[in-house]
Formats: sequence, C-alpha cells, structure tokens
Amino acid sequence: MVVLALSMLFLPLLSALVTLFFLRKKGNIASLLSVSTAGGILVLALVLIFNFEDDVMSWDATWFSMGGWELRFGFLIDGPARLLLFVVAFVGFLIHLFSLGYMEKDPARPRYFGGLSIFMFSMLGITLADNLIMIFVFWELVGFSSYLLIAHYFKTDEAAKASRKAFIANRVGDFGFLIGIVLTYWSFGTVNLIELADLADFSPNLTTTILCLALACGFIGKSAQFPLHVWLPDAMAGPTPVSALIHAATMVAAGIYLLLRIDFLFTEEALSLIALLGAVMGLYAGFCALVQKDIKKILAYSTLSQLGYMAAAFGLGAPGVALFHLTTHAFFKALMFLGSGSVIHSCHHEQDIFNYGGLRQRMPITALTFLIGVLAISGVNFLSGYFSKDAILLWAYNFNLPIFIILYSGAVLTSVYMFRLYFITFEGYSRSENAKHAKENSILMTGPLVILALLSIFGGYFSFYPNRLGSYLVADLSTVSSLPNHMWMVVLGTAAWIIGLVFARSFYWKVESTDPLAVRFPTFFEICKSKLFFDELYRFYINKIQDPAARFLEVMELLFISGLMVRGAAGMTALFSLLAKACYVGKIHAYAFWFLIGTLGFLIYSAGLFE
Amino acid sequence: MNFDTLLLLGSIIIPVIGSLMFFLGYPKNDDLLKKVGYLIFGFPFLAGVILFLKFESSDGYCFELLYDRMGLQELGITFHLGLNGVSSPLFAMAGIVGFGAGLAAIHSGNERLHLYLGLLAFMLSGLMGLFASVDLFFYYLFHEFALIPTFIMIGIWGGRDRRSIALEITIYLTLGALISLGGLVALNVLVDAPKFDFPHLSSALAEVAILDSTAQKVFGLLLFGFGILVALFPFHTWAARGYDAAPTSVSMLHAGVLKKFGLYGLIQIAVPLLPDAAFSWSPWLMWLALGNILLVGMVAVAQTSFKSMISYGSVMHMGYCFLGIGACSTLGIGSAVMLMCAHGLSVALMFLLASYTYKRTNTFEMSEMGGLGERTPLLACFCIAATLATIGLPGFGNFWGEFGIFLSLGESSNHLTFLIIAALGIILSAIFGLRAVSRIFFGEESKELSIEVEKSKLTDLTKTELLPASLILSALLLIGFWPQSISTRIDQEIDRRYSSLDGIMSQGRPACCPVDDVQSNENSNPTE
Repeated sequence: MVVLALSMLFLPLLSALVTLFFLRKKGNIASLLSVSTAGGILVLALVLIFNFEDDVMSWDATWFSMGGWELRFGFLIDGPARLLLFVVAFVGFLIHLFSLGYMEKDPARPRYFGGLSIFMFSMLGITLADNLIMIFVFWELVGFSSYLLIAHYFKTDEAAKASRKAFIANRVGDFGFLIGIVLTYWSFGTVNLIELADLADFSPNLTTTILCLALACGFIGKSAQFPLHVWLPDAMAGPTPVSALIHAATMVAAGIYLLLRIDFLFTEEALSLIALLGAVMGLYAGFCALVQKDIKKILAYSTLSQLGYMAAAFGLGAPGVALFHLTTHAFFKALMFLGSGSVIHSCHHEQDIFNYGGLRQRMPITALTFLIGVLAISGVNFLSGYFSKDAILLWAYNFNLPIFIILYSGAVLTSVYMFRLYFITFEGYSRSENAKHAKENSILMTGPLVILALLSIFGGYFSFYPNRLGSYLVADLSTVSSLPNHMWMVVLGTAAWIIGLVFARSFYWKVESTDPLAVRFPTFFEICKSKLFFDELYRFYINKIQDPAARFLEVMELLFISGLMVRGAAGMTALFSLLAKACYVGKIHAYAFWFLIGTLGFLIYSAGLFE
Repeated sequence: MNFDTLLLLGSIIIPVIGSLMFFLGYPKNDDLLKKVGYLIFGFPFLAGVILFLKFESSDGYCFELLYDRMGLQELGITFHLGLNGVSSPLFAMAGIVGFGAGLAAIHSGNERLHLYLGLLAFMLSGLMGLFASVDLFFYYLFHEFALIPTFIMIGIWGGRDRRSIALEITIYLTLGALISLGGLVALNVLVDAPKFDFPHLSSALAEVAILDSTAQKVFGLLLFGFGILVALFPFHTWAARGYDAAPTSVSMLHAGVLKKFGLYGLIQIAVPLLPDAAFSWSPWLMWLALGNILLVGMVAVAQTSFKSMISYGSVMHMGYCFLGIGACSTLGIGSAVMLMCAHGLSVALMFLLASYTYKRTNTFEMSEMGGLGERTPLLACFCIAATLATIGLPGFGNFWGEFGIFLSLGESSNHLTFLIIAALGIILSAIFGLRAVSRIFFGEESKELSIEVEKSKLTDLTKTELLPASLILSALLLIGFWPQSISTRIDQEIDRRYSSLDGIMSQGRPACCPVDDVQSNENSNPTE
C-alpha cells in the first residue's frame, strides 16, 4: 500500500521535473508524458481503492522534527479519501486527454502540462494526507500550481492580475488556516486526523469555535467563499481545461474536503455560520451568473454557487451529502467546462455567449453533452444533480427552514441561468463569423465529454457506487432516504427546474446581441452586474488604503529613522566637531585666550569656589 | 590533524591565499583567472558540503582543531575551530552562497576584476571562519574580516550614492559590532572563564551565579549589538540602502551569510548562556521583530525598484528569526536556525537573479521591465521559484523555518498576539513578491524593454549564469522536501544547549494554552 501510494503521489512530480529539465522545447513528448502520467495515476488509484480490504489504511514516517515537535508524512486512506481520489484521478485523466486536443496549437505546452502534473501531485497530496500540516503543505502547493496555470497566458494583463489575485486571496485564507493549525496543535497536542478524532470528547467552548473557524478560513480561501470569492471568476483567465480541473472539479472542492476531514472539531455555532455562508453564496453567485456574458464566468459563478450548496450541507450536519454533491458536481461541472472549452476552441477563443448561437447544428456532440450537464445541474429528475442537490434541499427543509428557502431560490435561479446559457449558446442563429464557421472537435475532445455526460446521468444512483467508493456516503444518504416530506420535495424540486426552464425559454430562446433582461429590468440587471461591489471594495482598499499606507510608512522611515535618528546622530556628532573645531582656529592669540580661560578655570576650581 | 580538519582549515586559508594572489595581480591571463577563481571559490563550497555530509552528531563539536600556542593563551584566546549541529548547516550554506557569489563575480565583467575577486575571497574566508570558530575572539575577528571588504567594495563598485552609503554602513555596523563586543567582553570578565570559547563559557557560567540585573544589562548589550548587525527594527535602515547600492556578490554574501552573524551569536552565546535575561528581554525583542515584519514589510510593498524590494524583503524576514529566538523555546530557536539557512540561500538567489535581470534590461525599475517573461522564460522560471521560496511556499526551505516559528509562538498564550500579527506577514510578502514577478515578467512588453531589445540581443540565461542559480535553488528544494537533512543535527544541538531554557519557559509561563489546563495536561503535552 505504502509503495503504491508513494509512487502514485510522486509520479506526477517526477513527470513535471522531467518536463522541466528535458522537454522544455518538446511540446508533443511533454504532453504525452503528462497524459500517460495521468493514466498511470488512474490505474494506481484504482488499484489502491479496490485492491485492499482494510477500510482505513494509514501509514506515516517522520518528515521533520524540531524541539519536541514531530511532523509525520503519512497517508490516511479512508472512505472520503477513496472517493475523492477516484474523482481526482478519473476526472483528471479525462481532462488531460481533453487538453491534448485543446492545447494542440499552443507553443507553451510543456509549461502547461508540467503545471498540470504539479497540480496532480499536490491534489493527490491533499487527498491522501493524514495530518493538518501535511494538508497545509499541499494546500499551498495546489495554490501555486493554480497560480502557474492561471498565468499561462501571462502576456495578457488579465491573466497576470488574476493569477496574483488568486494566490493572494488564497494566502489570506491560509493565514487563518495556519493560525488554526497552530492552535489545534497546542490545544490537542496533535494534528494527526486519526488522533484528533480519537480525542472526541471536545467540550464545545469558545476556543474550539474560534479554532475551527480559523481552520475554516482555509476552506473559505480555497473554495472561494464569501468574502474571498472574488478570485475565482477572475481565475477563468487560465486555459479552459485548467478551469475545469482546478477551478471546478477538484481544487476548489478541496475546501469542502478539508471540512469533512475535521468535521468532528466543529461546534454548533461554527456549523451554523458555515451553513449560512454557504447558502447565501449559493444565492448570491446565482444572481451574478444570471447577467454574465462570458461563458466561463457564468460557469465560474455557478461553481461558486454549487460550492455554497456543499458548504450548506456540511453546515447542516450532513458531510456525506456534501461529499456526494461534490462528486456529482465534479462530473457535470467538468463536463460543462470542457463543453465550453470545446465551443471556445471551435470559435477561435471567442468567449462572449452573445457572439455564439445556433451551435447545436454545428457541434452536435458538444451541444448534447452540454445539455446533459445543464439538465443535471438544474436537478432534472433522475439525473445526477437531482439526487445530490435534492438531498441537500430535503435535509435543509427538515432541519433548517430559512436555509432551505435561500437554497431553494438558488436552485430556481440555477436552472434559469443554466438554460439561459444553453439557449443563447446553442439555439437560435449564429451571431458572429466565428460561430458560423464552428466545427465539431476531434474525438480527443468529444470522447471525454461523452464519458462525463454518462457519469452526469448515472452518477446520482447510489447503487452505481461500489462499496469501496461509497462507504462514507452510506450513513448520511440513508438518513436522507428516511427523512419525511419526500414526495413534497420531489414536487418542489421538479417545480424548480421547470420554472427555470419556462422562464429561460420565454426570455432567452431567441436573443439579439443584447441581454433581454437588461432591456426589461435594467435596474435589477445593473444590481446583479455590480456583484455588490466587492471587487470595487477590495480595489479601494488596495489603492486607497494599503498602497498609500505603504508609501506613508516608506516616507516615515526615510524621515524619522533614516533622517532623524541616523542622520540626526551623525549631525549631532558633526555639530560637536564644528564647535570643537572653532577652538582650533590656528591663531596664536586665540590659543592664548583659551589657555587663559583654562588656567582661570583651574585656579577657581582649586580654590574650591565650586563647592 | 586529519583530512576533515584540513578541509575546515583550508576553507578559511585557501580564500586568503587566493585573495593575496589576486591582489598581486596574478594570474594575468584572463582564462586562467577564471579557472583559478573557480578553484578558490569552489574549495570552501566543497569543504562545506563534504563536512556537512560527514558530520556526526556527537556531543558538541566535530572536526576540532586546536592551536593554543599563539601567545594569547594567557588571555584565554586560542585558535580553535570546529563545527557543531547549528554551525554545520550554516557553514555549508556559506560555502554554497560563497560559490554562487564567486561565480557571479568571476563572470561579472567588473572593472579591476582582480581587486574585486581578491576582496570577495577575503570576505568569504572571514565568513567561513566565523561559523567554524569555537573561540569567541576568532569568531569576532573573522566577522570583521568579512565586514571590511564589504565597505571597500560598496565604496568602489557600488551603485548610486555609494560613497555616503559605504560611510553610513561602516559607521552603523562598526557601532553594532562594538556594542556586541562590549557584551562579549563583559560576559568574559563576569564569569572569568579559563578560555574565551563557547563550551568553556557555558561551563563557567553554570558555576558562577551572575546577578540578575547584571545579566540583564549584558544581554541587552548583546541583543542590540547583534540586533544592529541583523537589521533589527528600528536599526535596519542601513541594510536596505546598503544592499541596494552594493554590487551583486556583496549583497549576496552580506544579506545571505554575514547578516546571520548576529543571529548566530544570539543563538550560540547570548540566549543559552543567559536564559533568564533572554526570557525577560523577549517581549522587547518580539515587538521590535513585529516592526520588522509589519512595518518593513509594508515599506517593501511600496518599493518600485526590484533590488530595493528584495532588500526590504530580506530585512522583513529577519523579523521571523527574531520571533523564533524571542519565543525562547527549542522549537522556536531551532526553526530560526532553519530559516537562517534557507533565507541565506533564497535571498542570495534573489540578488543574483536581480543582477541577471539588470544585465538584460539595464534598470531595476520594475515598471520599465514589464513583459520580460516571453524573452527569458528560464530567468522567469527561476525568479518565480526564488520569489515563492522567499514568501515561504512549502517545498522550499523557508517554509519549515517560518512554520516552526509560527508553531513555537502558539505555545504560550502570551505570544498569541505576536502569532496573529506575524502571520499577516505571509500575506504581505505574497503581495510584494508576486507584484514584482508580474510587473517584471508578465503582461505586454514595456516600451523601455523594446528599446533594450533593439539595442542588444536579449537572451535567456546562459550556462555560466545557470550554474550558481540552480545550485542555490536545488539546496533550497532539498531542505524544502527533506527538512530532516538539516533539522536533525540542529535539533540535537539546540536540545543539548537549551535544556535549561525549557525549564525557565515552563516555570515562567502562565496557563499554557488557549484551552483549559487540565485538558492539555491530560493529552500528553507535546513539549515533553
């Protein structure tokens, strides 16, 4: 097990190093190497998941020790780890395949595929890690690979800014995470997940609440939740497969995974806060998605909103349901991102949906699979999203009605903006030259789409999951099935997507180059478009507070420390030397004068006049 | 005298011989000069690495060499070399950075290259010597050896305002050295040790009881003396200005290695010998260290020149080392040593890369460099790696030092404020580090850069440039991925020397953790 896990973990790192050293100029070999690495990871992961009997596998070795503190490098492969491992390896492999087609003309392919490999390495690290510090290490490393890949088109200003923003926003989250880890260590004497779980009798007090909220800051940063959500939409500046893999299916979901791994630490108060944050994010991001024009930004806001659902599920005490939704979301969101990639690739990097239209005839496979994704996320009955999302809604309905109302409105909104996206992109007539000449892509790109579409259809049936994968979900999902109000929920859930569909059909079936919503409800449209001014707020902070403060401190340093203290000290010395120099004028009568004064002083002193 | 001690001695003597040769203007042939230069600067590097690998963590010093017939033995001064668990990684680090700086100097194409190389070799011998000295007199003497060439080199080869800066730095650092010397002498006089070296002082101190108030004063002298040399806030202004003006190799060696002298002194001498005084001074030290992190960090954000940003950044990260020392625990101090090693490497790498960038763009102004990444992908790659190393990304050595220091701050509830404020530094350094990267390498090519491109053919890193950069980077990565490689010996040495300290900490410390005491006692206190 150990050798297997270690080799799976370090395989992608090795591949990235080989690419860095030998394949910097050889795009074809580099991309093949990276894809076969991803294939290798998938095989090893499957062996790791299915070939061992133990439900919990763990192993560790000393990595670093100092002053009585020992950090261990270890793996904890239990239920949630196996499921996430499967998602990462499987979706990762498909996206690698897709990248082969999508990036075929990019001159910087070695850098791209090297970055993907580093990402796989760090993401596997998070999945397998058995203690918080190790998670933190890989946590920062996924942040780094995300930075690297967002900056892929670094010549554009947009990518340059977005990569920086993503890293710094994540760092803000990690700041809290770091403090949380330190507090955890000194409160419980360990950061090992198993040992922490064994110390189960936490007396829920203020300290534990602070501690778990500090740890949850890591989740807020990585999963782009309020108030650090601003980085994710900008991160769409990276290549589309990257958005699919990192910013939709896996890395941003790692935040939820972190919460699952430490769920026993959470107190009631902390849980309710997270549920509220998640639910509000679910709704807020839906409104933002409704008015976007960029296809990837719509999907990005949708990801934010779905992450909010997962957080809400976790906060309401259903981590299994959260993980279930994470899994199905990984399938259909990766599907839609890759679908958008397929469209973007065919339309020569046009991303404005109002310049698409009528693509269903030209790209039938992409259109069909995309539609499946849209249906799945909207919760159309018996597709994957229906099961996972309605499980969350049902749970909320039974345990927390206000949260349910927010989440339910979010669900209606989801289906509106998703059908809007589908209608504007694939129906109607083509509104630009690029769209008119779009062609369906090669099998390298459509193949992964089809596989993901199948998973989006069937991924919601729990019996579909072998026991090795689904073991963590069993408990929570069986609770869900025994909850009351089931039929009522089916009706409500069905109503949600039908309302959305009807609304979107009436608004967006045939659009011109302007958004119909902007014409009919301009105020509402503008409010949504402003995204409640978070970007402006942060920009104001940076430009008007942080940078001026930095410049102010620079001046102060120059003035007071360099100037007053250092130069002042030098100046005082110089002043004394000037005064002293005044005595040495080089004229004999001046010396005689000083001599006289000195003698007088001496005489007066010896006469005892001073006493 | 066996092979290992010969290596130790050679790493000090060979650079001196080399520097004398360079001063005399030999070798005249340019090609030969380069080859000899490789040898001279390569020897300490090889010696450092070999001795690092051969180091056996016994009790105390390895590879000892003692010569006590210098005529100064009456004063307790002997020529005594050796490496212990703390100095061995630092010695190796000095060798690596020295080699990098030497290579950069050999290929710098400076005017009066012989003199330049000679001074640099002289400086290097001092640096190697100071970490290899057991005797305090020579420890101090070697520091002065390394310091004097710094002044001369800034004065001759420096950038803008070099004269006044050389003067400022001279006065400032001499003052710092003088104060710390006062502390050292006071310590020696107080305990009246038979010999003026680390082991004898500590054994003598164990027998003599120093008055608390005296110990406080002596520690204060050492703290501020060494503090000035390490650029403790508010005595840091020399550093940024100095590195800014200094030629590359000098910045590398000074910021990377020489500045660690003060921290090394605090860790090896001041804190273990006067633990009570250290404990009572620690709040002072930590508040000032926060000044380094927060205020100097903010000043770094405001910089527009790449090199001064690196300078301020390096001053800022010294704050973490001080915090580790101020935490007064084996964890904190051990991690501070880790950070010293890693920081030495990373800051040297940054200065090296800054000079490479300058060579291509003829400016340090970041706004004039924009969009360099397309033309020089390798340089960009190294620069990003070095920046991420300095901002403490896991995978590079700096992370372990910083993380250990943060962890040590959590131990006492008194230090929680420091923890929270200090951790803000990870955001600050990300802000200025990534800003620099994106201003220099990302975005469209700037107008100034296009002009430079037309004037000269702008190329990526050459082989001779790659060598020192990749050497330093791989050392950083090694520590990052395998921290045990240096931490075991540091831990052992610190544990041995600081056993008294943890006692003081646990007595002087109020309720340990944020959680109620009962619980933390039950759950096996990790410090034990």
